[in-house]
Amino acid sequence: MSELSSVTGNITIPYTPPPETPKLPPREWVKENLFSSKFNSILTVVSSILLLAIARGLLSFIFNPERQWNATATNLRLLMTQAYPESQYVRIWVCAAILLILTSVSMAIWRTARVVALPDLGRRLLSRGAILALLTLLAPFSGRATLIWLLTAAVVAGVGEGLRRFTNDDQATTTLTLLLVTLSGLVGSLWVVPYGHHSFLMDRTPRVLAEPGTVAMTTKLPWTIMLLIAVAAYFLGGFLRERLPVNATRITVLLLWLMAPPFLLYLVLRDPSFEMGHVFGTDIPIFGVYAVLGSALLLWLSRPSTGEAGRIVAALVLIVGCATFLTPMRMIVRLDMLLLAAFALAAHTFSGGPRAQKRYIFGWLGVLVVMSWMVTAINTPSTVKVPGGFFIGGLSLTLMVAIFTIVISFPLGLALALARTSTMPIFRLLSTWFIEFVRGIPLITILIFFSIMVPLFLPKGMHLSEVTAVVIGYALFSSAYLAENVRGGLQSVDRGQHEAAAAVGMTTAQKTIFIVLPQALRAAIPPLVGHCIGVFKETSLLAIIGLFDILYIARYVMPNQTEFMGSTKENVLFVSAIYWIFTYQMSKASQRLEQRTGLGER
Amino acid sequence: MTDTSTSSSPRIAASARTPLWRDVVILKWVAQVSLLIVVLSTMWFLANQAGDNLRARNISTGFDFLNRPPDIQLSEGIDTKPATGGRALWVGMVNTMRMAVAGIFFATILGVIVGLARLSDNWLVRRLGSIWVETLRNVPLLVQMIFYFSVLTSLPRLGLVAGPINGWLHISNKGISMPRVFISDGFYQWLIVVLIGAVAAHYIRRHRTRLHDETGAQTAPTLWALGTIALFALVGLFIHPVFSWVGGIFGAIADLLDSLPIIVPQVLLCAVALGAGTRWILRFLSAHRSVRGHLSLSDDDWFRIIFIALASLVVVFVVVRWTGLSSWILNSGRDLFGVMEAKFNVDGAARPFDAMLPDIVQKGKFPNYGKNGLTMSIGFAAVFFGVVFYTSAFIGENVRGGILAVPKGQTEAALAVGLTRGQTLRRVVLPQAFRVILPPTGNQFLNLTKNTSLAIAVGYSDMVQVGTTVFNQTGKTLPVVAIWMLFYLSCSLTLSVIVNWFNVRTQLVER
Repeated sequence: MSELSSVTGNITIPYTPPPETPKLPPREWVKENLFSSKFNSILTVVSSILLLAIARGLLSFIFNPERQWNATATNLRLLMTQAYPESQYVRIWVCAAILLILTSVSMAIWRTARVVALPDLGRRLLSRGAILALLTLLAPFSGRATLIWLLTAAVVAGVGEGLRRFTNDDQATTTLTLLLVTLSGLVGSLWVVPYGHHSFLMDRTPRVLAEPGTVAMTTKLPWTIMLLIAVAAYFLGGFLRERLPVNATRITVLLLWLMAPPFLLYLVLRDPSFEMGHVFGTDIPIFGVYAVLGSALLLWLSRPSTGEAGRIVAALVLIVGCATFLTPMRMIVRLDMLLLAAFALAAHTFSGGPRAQKRYIFGWLGVLVVMSWMVTAINTPSTVKVPGGFFIGGLSLTLMVAIFTIVISFPLGLALALARTSTMPIFRLLSTWFIEFVRGIPLITILIFFSIMVPLFLPKGMHLSEVTAVVIGYALFSSAYLAENVRGGLQSVDRGQHEAAAAVGMTTAQKTIFIVLPQALRAAIPPLVGHCIGVFKETSLLAIIGLFDILYIARYVMPNQTEFMGSTKENVLFVSAIYWIFTYQMSKASQRLEQRTGLGER
Repeated sequence: MTDTSTSSSPRIAASARTPLWRDVVILKWVAQVSLLIVVLSTMWFLANQAGDNLRARNISTGFDFLNRPPDIQLSEGIDTKPATGGRALWVGMVNTMRMAVAGIFFATILGVIVGLARLSDNWLVRRLGSIWVETLRNVPLLVQMIFYFSVLTSLPRLGLVAGPINGWLHISNKGISMPRVFISDGFYQWLIVVLIGAVAAHYIRRHRTRLHDETGAQTAPTLWALGTIALFALVGLFIHPVFSWVGGIFGAIADLLDSLPIIVPQVLLCAVALGAGTRWILRFLSAHRSVRGHLSLSDDDWFRIIFIALASLVVVFVVVRWTGLSSWILNSGRDLFGVMEAKFNVDGAARPFDAMLPDIVQKGKFPNYGKNGLTMSIGFAAVFFGVVFYTSAFIGENVRGGILAVPKGQTEAALAVGLTRGQTLRRVVLPQAFRVILPPTGNQFLNLTKNTSLAIAVGYSDMVQVGTTVFNQTGKTLPVVAIWMLFYLSCSLTLSVIVNWFNVRTQLVER
């Protein structure tokens, strides 16, 4: 149990296990839970009939010979990435590998594994086996299929019973081991079962073709490598956790997570054909000048003794930054100047000893690197062209839109929440109006507006792809809701905290950044996770405005293929399963997070 | 306004006056005004740009399309071949409101059942409840809707004889049709009888409650009140024609409104606006006055006062300049009372209610549902099941959370003083749980209303679907989007006012 008392930051939160309820023998358990009174008995009978009827209906729907499950199996690539070019596919795998490595390392560093006692596992497997047997009897199978499924159920139940009998409570395994076993089973099955190998000939009889190019054939090797990479990364994470200071590692991993979306998008997916001469001749020198001079300026500004002159200099930098827009020059120079102005203005807030100064300078350099590199990457055209007007589609588009919406709307929502709770009336009024306006109208009207109307509002010669416009609209929408969640967190911060911060002489900015926001955000974690789940779910609305997301492909593209005419039901069921897995995992993770940090308990 | 020295550094504090660039008040206002300028100029820039672009593409904005024939056909609604664009949008609005009201009603019922199921003593029922919630909550609503839609479209084709119960309940790929009970001509007269019954019931209830308080006997006041209303409703079925004279009153009001000059509503509106503004300011001032009468106002307070004063002056200006508003109020008032008069002007044999069985007619090649039954088209059914199931999962969680939030001691105390289980639930647990449940459930109602806009994906003619069709036909995207936003904002506002009213009524009054 000591595994569970987790370390978050510097605070150790003791984990107290809930009191054990004595286990009842099966007969009494049934009596207690199902037939305790006359009313309860009636309820039990009625709901078991209902449950059996639903299960039977669902099974006969799924295993109906008319169902075209081949449609999803064959079109998996379409559903995941749309018509991404075959020759470039390795980049998708690199993306997946990066995400997997990050996930595994984080799992190792944050110790997400839970301990499962083997007898418990056995009990669970036993009941799963029983349920499987029951479902097999309900399903409309032929005799042979029933036999096979019953045998499977018997094996599962047998393993469970064996575990239950021959192990004791001291023997345990972790959820990660179980996950690994399941995943290796799935990956191993790719080598054995020919998923999506059905090809339709003229007489419309499905025939299994063992030729390369279909789902299982093309993905079995990459997935095996992915699994190995994930396992290796997990051990690497464990090694890092043992050898390095915990907090520094965690912060680094978090930063890597933050950097991942733009990195994956621009370096790997967009395939910028960098013109290296331009990069070395222009971009890197500009970056170098800003890096050196900006750091020197900020070093001076972030000294506590700089005082009044610093403010004047910062204001001058701001004026220069605005003035750069009046004369023709490179966009990167202007943007960097504005960035420098922002850092210069904030320098007073972050001023302090040499350590604080060093941190501030590193922050400046980091942001400058990301900014310069993104501007460079944006300015180089993509070499990937895909039907549908964007360089990617399917589930990847769904994920990309969700991630970018959340990343963009977070700072916006934060600013809106701060403005709404501030004492300055115009800020408060503007943000309140914006939030209430956006919250009053449905998302679909905003998406339609942005997908159709954005070109109208742009100056001549400026173009914005539809996906970008929609992401901007979606981010504005999401920021209003996010602001309300953050506001809840801000209101939960005790008044004494504000007063104490003011009493030790902090400025309003320092008070907000160092005292109020950390506490408010911590309190707002559960609703924020809920918000992220909502954003992910509502990306399905992209299908209505005609972007090629996973739902669009399942509803409009696949049912129109000649082999799979009218397969909408199956495809949509598959899509809902995918959404369900993602959202269910996210909500479970957030519940675990709440339990670990003791947030729900107040 | 005076304590500006809090953030000045030691070097400056020595001088007597704070310099301008360090004065917090001035800095704050500079920041705010510059943000306002930035926002306004951005909006002005965008509007200008849009104007230029529209002119370049020869698209005219303006609301004239509302009065032109739109040349579209709607799948369902109060009018499937609307004569004007405005009428088409109105049909869409009515469809949206229909869906929202039906959805809220059924989602609440189902949600309460789900929430109670999750708290049941029965293991199986509890499991069923949590499967329901975890499945439906985690699948996007749009995906669910499209799934229901595709299942419904693959139902058997409609024939002249249809199942499952021919003549009573028909389910086919044309939708679901069932018997319909509807209000008939005599309904409004009957309603007057019921209203009288309700007044009587109020007094009877009060009397029975007093009796209970005095003697302690079980007097069942609620039962008595309900019985009275039922009795009046029953009697009203036979005697309602005696109230046909009520129409005369409405007619008189309509005539009065017709003869009023425009200046009357103008004066009234101005008086209301100025009066409300003055009253607010006076109350605000008196609330900010200390016991000794000393008045201290912050910048924020001054801002509020000026804002309210300006707002009421703007209202007065609009009312005076725009006479159309006042004449519209007069005319629509007259029309409303005229309609009310007509409702009472029916012959004595009219019944309050009528019922009809669903029918199937064959006009062309294929049979279709007739007008007699209550018919859900598959578009309606898909959206309806979608929003009801989806929202019920969320409402169920609210109900469960609300009931769990009532401390266990309350139940134990109630049982200890001798209340029965039913009384404990009714009088102790539910009133307290209701307080917790109401605010998030109100939010869910708002979400449901907004979610009906997904109907566009399954072809149900709601506001968004009709609007999209209209702007595809006429090219007037901006006006249609503006009408959408206005419509949904007013829907949200109305709902939240209702929910807030309940909320204020049920919350504990704290010290």
